Amino acid sequence: MNKITLSAIVMLLFAFLVIENAKADDYTDAMTKAMKKMGEAADKNDKAALLKSRGDFERILQLKKNEWMVNYYLGFVDYMLSRTAVEEKNNDDMKKYTESALSLLDKATDVKDDFADAYIMKMAVQGNRWQYEPDKMNDIIAKTQEAKDKAMKLEPENPRYYLVDGYMTFYTPESFGGGVDKAQGMFEKSWGYFKTYKLKDETYPNWGNDQAAGMIAMCFIKNDKKEEAKKWIDAALEVKPGSGFITGFVMPEYEKMK
Amino acid sequence: MKTLLTLLILFFLSAALHAQDIKISGKITGDENAPLNGANVVIEGTIDGATTDSTGYYEFETSRTGSQNLLFTAIDYSDKRQTVTLEAGKPMELNVRLKKSVVETEEIIVTASSYTSGQNSQVTITPLEIVRIPGSDGDLFRAITTFPGSNQVDEGSRITVRGGDANEVLTILDQASLYNPFIFDDDFNTSSYTTINPWGLRGINFSSGGFSAKFGNVLSAVLDLKTYEMPQGTGGFLWLGLANVGLSGVYLNQKKNFGATVDIGQTILEPYFRLNGYLVDKYDPIPLARGIGGSISYKPSTSSNLKGVFDYSKDKIGIRNTSPSYDGFFNSGSETVFGNLKYSAGLGAKTFYSMGVSYSHHTDDVGYGILNTISKQLYSKYRLDVTHRLSKKIDLNTGGEYEYNEDKFDGTVPQYSYNIGNNAPRFDVNSNTHSGRVGGYLEAQIKPFKRFFTIAGVRTDYHTLSKKSVVDPRLSMGWKFAKDMILRGAVGIYHQFPRLEYYAQSDNFNLKPEQASHYILGYEFNKMEGLFVFRVEGYYKDYKNLVLRDTTSFLYTSGGKGYAKGIDVFLKSTVTNKYSTWISYAYTDSKRSQYNAQTELPAAYDITHNLTFVASYNISDVITTGLTYRLSTGKPYTPITGGVYDPNANAYQPIYAETNSGRFPTYQRMDVNFQYIFSLFGRFAIAVFQINNLLNQKNLYDYTYNSDYSKRDEIVTTNKRQFYLGLGLQF
Repeated sequence: MNKITLSAIVMLLFAFLVIENAKADDYTDAMTKAMKKMGEAADKNDKAALLKSRGDFERILQLKKNEWMVNYYLGFVDYMLSRTAVEEKNNDDMKKYTESALSLLDKATDVKDDFADAYIMKMAVQGNRWQYEPDKMNDIIAKTQEAKDKAMKLEPENPRYYLVDGYMTFYTPESFGGGVDKAQGMFEKSWGYFKTYKLKDETYPNWGNDQAAGMIAMCFIKNDKKEEAKKWIDAALEVKPGSGFITGFVMPEYEKMK
Repeated sequence: MKTLLTLLILFFLSAALHAQDIKISGKITGDENAPLNGANVVIEGTIDGATTDSTGYYEFETSRTGSQNLLFTAIDYSDKRQTVTLEAGKPMELNVRLKKSVVETEEIIVTASSYTSGQNSQVTITPLEIVRIPGSDGDLFRAITTFPGSNQVDEGSRITVRGGDANEVLTILDQASLYNPFIFDDDFNTSSYTTINPWGLRGINFSSGGFSAKFGNVLSAVLDLKTYEMPQGTGGFLWLGLANVGLSGVYLNQKKNFGATVDIGQTILEPYFRLNGYLVDKYDPIPLARGIGGSISYKPSTSSNLKGVFDYSKDKIGIRNTSPSYDGFFNSGSETVFGNLKYSAGLGAKTFYSMGVSYSHHTDDVGYGILNTISKQLYSKYRLDVTHRLSKKIDLNTGGEYEYNEDKFDGTVPQYSYNIGNNAPRFDVNSNTHSGRVGGYLEAQIKPFKRFFTIAGVRTDYHTLSKKSVVDPRLSMGWKFAKDMILRGAVGIYHQFPRLEYYAQSDNFNLKPEQASHYILGYEFNKMEGLFVFRVEGYYKDYKNLVLRDTTSFLYTSGGKGYAKGIDVFLKSTVTNKYSTWISYAYTDSKRSQYNAQTELPAAYDITHNLTFVASYNISDVITTGLTYRLSTGKPYTPITGGVYDPNANAYQPIYAETNSGRFPTYQRMDVNFQYIFSLFGRFAIAVFQINNLLNQKNLYDYTYNSDYSKRDEIVTTNKRQFYLGLGLQF
C-alpha cells in the first residue's frame, strides 16, 4: 500500500470522526438551544412560543431517532400546552396534548426505564385526565400511583418529585388527604433537595427550583403570613431572576394580601 | 498532499454553498383545509425545518440541495412525506394538507342494538358508567337493561329481549359461551346477580338483533364480552360493602408479557337485611354466595397471546314462601365452575386467528315441599376463528366450533305443579341427556365505498341429538348518508336448539331448532364521537318452531310460532363534562304460542312500553351523583280464576285463565347514588352510598293464593327501599 492511499484512508477515517462528532455536537447544541427557548416559553406560558419549541424538539428527533430525552421534553411541552388549553377552556386540545404527552413519556421510559423525571412528569400529566375522562377513575388512580412509586424508587432525592407531589397535594382539599400545610412540607423538601441536586449532563431536566420556593411563598400567602411569603419570593427570584412563574403567578396573589 | 488539497477545496466549496441558503415556505392545513397551528416540517435526517404559526404558515432556510425528503407532522394527523429537489438560490413554496389519523380507541362499547361493525358510531359506555348507574348495583347485566331492546321488570340480572325469555340471550366471554354467570338465580329472576367483573373487560357489545353469523345457536340477542389480553398494571382493590366484601388483585410483570388477576368475594347479608328492615327469620339460610375467579395471561411474542380464565361460585338461599298447598322455606343452591383457555396469534400481517376451549359445569338444587331436585348442566366448547384481510375493502371472517352439552336431572317432582304438600302425588325423575353441536360460518365485511359497508355471512349448525341441521344466511348494511348520520339495516335467519330438558320431554328427541327471522331498520345521529347520540330503530321478528307442550301427550313439540315487532329509541348526551344522561324507550308487541300457550298470546316478556332515564352529575372532581328512573308496562302473567276441589288429592286444583292474559300493574322505580373519592392511608378510596327504590314503589312480580284459590295475595318485589353503603380501597 502506498503512502498516499494510506494517508487518504486515515484522512477519510478522520473526516468520518469529525462528522460523527459534529453530529453529536449538533445534538447537544440543538438541545441546549431548544431547552433554553422552551424554558422561556414555559416560564411566560406563551402558547405560540411553546408550539415553536415543540417543533424544535421534534426536529431534533431527526438527529437521534426515538431519543428518550427528546421525547421527555416533547412530553413536557405537550403538558404545558395542555395547561394552556385548560385556560382557553379548549377541551379538545386539552385531551389531545394530554394523550400526546402520555404517549411520549411512555416512549421515553420504554427506552430508558430508569429515568425518574419522566415518571415524575407522568404523575403530573395523569391528573389532567380527570378533566375529560373522570369515568376512567380507576385507571387514572392506578397509573398515577404506578408513576409515583416508580419515581420514588428510582430517585428518592429528586426535587421535582416533591414539587409535583406538592402541587397535587396543594390542589387537593384537606378532607381528601391534601391541603396547604401538607403541601408546604413537600415544597420545602423539594427546595432542600434542589440545593444538592446535580445534573447528570447538560441536557438533563433542570426546572422547578424557583417553583419550589414560589409555592412555599404561596403556602404562606394562603396562611396569611406576608413576611415569610416575601422572603420566599425573594429566594425564588434569587435562583431565577425575573422568573415568570413568580411575577406572573405568585406576585399577583401576594399583592392581593392586606 | 494532493488529497488534502482536494479535501480543503471541497470544504471551502461547501462553506461557500452555505452562504446560499434556500428558503422553503408554505402552508400546512388539515381537515376541511383549516390551517394547522404548531404543525412541523423537517428535512429528514437534519434539524432544518420549522413550526407553523396560527395561520398554518411556515418558513425556514436550508443549505441542503438536491433530492430531499420533507416530513410533515402534526398531533392527531398522519405523517406525510414529500420528496423535493432543492436548487441553490431557488426558493420553494410548498403547501400541504394532512389527513386526520384514525385513532383506535380502547373504549368499552355497548350498542343499543348493534348491526356489527360501525365501531365509531356505536353507543359507548365505560365500566365506570356501569358501576355508576344507580340501581344497577355495579352489575353489568343490570346496567345493560338501561338500553332499549332489553327490559328489567324482574329486577334480577338476567336480560330478556323483545318478548323472549332470558334463554334467548347468549353471553360470550372471549369466545366461550357463558351459560350461568349468575348467583341467586331463580325462576322469577328477581334476585340474580352476575359474577362477571366489569373492570376486567376491554369490550362489551350487546346486540339485540341482526347480529353476525359468528354467533350460532342463539335466537334473540348476544352479549359479546372481551377481556383485556393483559392486566393493565399491578395493584389491588378491596371492597367493603354493607352486603358484600371483595378483594381483587392484578399483576403485570416488568416486560409486560405475563400477567395474572384474582377476584375473591362473599356476600354478608345479615347486617344489610337488618338495616333495611327485612325479616331475617324469613330467610333460612340467609342468602350466601362465595366466589373466586381469576386469569393468567402470557404473551409469547408481540403478535400472540395466551389467556386462561377461571371462575367458581357457590350460593345457597332459603326464603319463606306460602303457597296454597305448602308453607315453608323455598331452598335452593347452585355451584358453577367455568374455565376458558384462549390462544390468539397473527399469521403474517393480514391473518389473525384465535382458538379456544371452554368448560362450564353448573349444579342447581331446589327443595320446596315435595319438590326436591338436582340438575346438572355441562357444556364444553372448542372454537377456532380466523380473520383475513383480503384487501383494503374486504375482510373475511371464518370459523368453526364444536359444543358438547349434557343435562342431568334427578329428584322428586310433584305430579301437579300446584300441589306440593307433604302427601301430594309425586314421581321420581331421573334423566340424562347429552348432545353435540357442530357449527361453522363464513362472513365477508365489504366496504365498497367510503361511506357504505355491508356484512354478508352464512352459518350452519348440526345438532347430533335431533340429527337436524340449519343454514342461516345473514346480511347487514350501513350507510353514512350525511355527516353524523347513519342508516342501518339487517336481515337474517337465526336458530336455537331447545335446551336439553325439552328434548328429554319430547317424542324421540324430535324437536326442530327454534327459528327467528330478524328484520331491522334504524337511523342514527351521532355527533362529536358519541357525545350526542340519537338512535331510532324499528324491528320485526318472525318466530317458528317454538317449543310447545302438547295438551294430550304432555310432550313438547315444535308447533309454536309467533312474532315480535317494535321500536327502540335511544338518546345519550354528554351535556357538559359534568353532566351526562341517557333515555331509552322501547315499544314492543310480542305474541307467541310457546310452552303452555296454545294460541298466540302475549309473550312472557311482552312489555309494551319501557322507559329508562339515567343521569349522572359530577358535583365536583370527587363527588358524583346519579339517578335512574324506570317506568314500564307490567309484565304479563297467567291469572288463576278459582279452584275446584279434587277429592283424590284432597286439595284444590287451580283454574287457569288464558296464558299471560293478566298484567301486573305498571312498574316504576327510582334509584339514586352518590360516590365520593378521597384519600385513605395515603391511597385512593371510593365510598358509595345508594338508595334503591327511593320512592318505595311496591312492584308486583307474582300472586300467591289461599288453599281454595278464592283469595290472592301479592308477592311484591324484594327490592323495597334499600340503603347500601360500600367502601373501596385501591392499593
